[in-house]
Amino acid sequence: MSLQPLVQMTDIEKNFGGVRAVDHVSVSLYPGEVVGLLGHNGAGKSCLMRILSGAMTPSSGEIRVNGEAVTFAEPNDARARGIETIYQTLALADHLDAPSNLFLGRELKTRFGNLDDAAMLRAAREVLARLNPNFTNLRDPVSSLSGGQRQVIAIARAIYFDTRILIMDEPTAALGPSETAMVADLIRKLQADGIGIFLVSHDIHDVFDLCDRVVVMNKGRVVGAHAITEVSKDDVLSLIVKGELPGGWTARPIEAAQ
Amino acid sequence: MTDASKPWANGKERRLSMARDQLHRASALLTLLLLIIGFALASPSFLSVNNGLTVLLQTSVIGLLGIGLTMVIITGGIDLSVGSVLALSGVVSAMAVKAGLPVIPAMCVGVLAGAACGAFNGFVITRLRIPPFVATLGMMLIARGMALQLTGATPISQLGAGFGRLGNGALFRVVEMQPNGFPRVIFPGIPYPAILLLIMAIAATYLLRRRQIGRHIYATGSNEEAARLSGVNVDWTKMYAYTMSGALAGLAGNVLMSRLVTAQPSEGVMYELDAIAAAVIGGASLSGGVGTIAGTMIGAFIIGILRNGLNMSGVSAFIQQIVIGLVVIGAVWIDQVRNRR
Repeated sequence: MSLQPLVQMTDIEKNFGGVRAVDHVSVSLYPGEVVGLLGHNGAGKSCLMRILSGAMTPSSGEIRVNGEAVTFAEPNDARARGIETIYQTLALADHLDAPSNLFLGRELKTRFGNLDDAAMLRAAREVLARLNPNFTNLRDPVSSLSGGQRQVIAIARAIYFDTRILIMDEPTAALGPSETAMVADLIRKLQADGIGIFLVSHDIHDVFDLCDRVVVMNKGRVVGAHAITEVSKDDVLSLIVKGELPGGWTARPIEAAQ
Repeated sequence: MTDASKPWANGKERRLSMARDQLHRASALLTLLLLIIGFALASPSFLSVNNGLTVLLQTSVIGLLGIGLTMVIITGGIDLSVGSVLALSGVVSAMAVKAGLPVIPAMCVGVLAGAACGAFNGFVITRLRIPPFVATLGMMLIARGMALQLTGATPISQLGAGFGRLGNGALFRVVEMQPNGFPRVIFPGIPYPAILLLIMAIAATYLLRRRQIGRHIYATGSNEEAARLSGVNVDWTKMYAYTMSGALAGLAGNVLMSRLVTAQPSEGVMYELDAIAAAVIGGASLSGGVGTIAGTMIGAFIIGILRNGLNMSGVSAFIQQIVIGLVVIGAVWIDQVRNRR
């Protein structure tokens, strides 16, 4: 492929004491591409994504963003490169309201350095209305909001700030059908804008609906990386469960799928 | 709908929506009023100007400690060291005066000593990853030990009239000399400690509501991991809160020692508990993310008036402790019942 990848993670390894959570993993992400990351709990997919989002530092390996080697010591470093993450836990401060959460860590300020709550409220009202027109209770602490509304805030926070690479960790796990459809629409819209998306999911149907490529992890290793058109759901299930394709084919290296 | 282009109008909108917060403060305020009415009926001298001033003076120390503790409690922490830090700061100020420093710089040195204790707490909590309860329990012993060691456990007296001005002076005090040579106070004025408390309470409220660090203090206590993932420097935020708590304890120490015109290394034992109680009565949650300075001020006055009123009604100090203990449990219990529904 001639395009330069947005993200190229090469030979990433992460050890916790004696446990190797991520074992020499290489993945890439291209502009406008949705890559599904599948695997059991503990397969290492969340760990890999935490490394990319700066929440965790790898034991070894290289990360390139737009061809440039980077190291992320904390989430802000990754953010500065346009990498935003929607965590499965949503990472919201429950006692704060929606605008405060949306701008948490990057608050808007007035000339005198005071918090510009009015501007944050206006911006939040605008971006949240785009995602969910029924969102009006912006001043309530987010603990009192519904699961869907909380998800909307987490999504809004990830796409509001000039995002180029989006990591979505189980974005639809807590959502009802209409909200799931909303998230799917959003993913397609972002994809059309040239944003690269890593979609971490348990839901194989979501992945087949939305993804261009699928990367399957098992016990910390990538056991399969395929264009979504060249595999069946059964193939992917087998990769997730057994770590190999049906019939015991060995996994192809990731480059094969590109 | 309020006009969102006006920041204060929008602040009001926020306040209206924080109904639970408001309810708690309203009920605390009601309790305060009931206490005042009750004690006024029980003892006629309770409502006198002089007694009012006494309450104001007594409450200012707990109030100052309470402001710092509120910040720490909102981050989800606790500071058990403020009573000891108060003593150490007062002692350091007095020693600075004895060393020849003028009163105001000497008191600044004392406040800085308090801030240093707080910063050390913050360091132990954020760098050594010691839980706040243990870290500040350690500082409680360290600061008390230092205060006693520095003074040889004897009070430092003869600090001069200047040292007593902060604790005993008042704004707009009108004094008339009588023919017999004794002064007669026509208007007692507003005591400096009360003014200091008001200024600090307003400053802290501004900090918590209008500044980024305040927002981060709430976020850290609300969900520390979320705050960290959102790019909040959680460690720095905690350092800030504990340092402020130490500095305010230092200020409280100077007010108290100034009032006594003596530095007492054994002063302030268990004050941290009164300050924590004030914050909790005022609606602060020990699990973090919740609390206001206004609430803590009400809580501080509830404790101050309870102490004073029970004294005036001739209730023994032992019974007072029992009553205040029950009030603390009651306040938290009511809050939990309200949250459960």
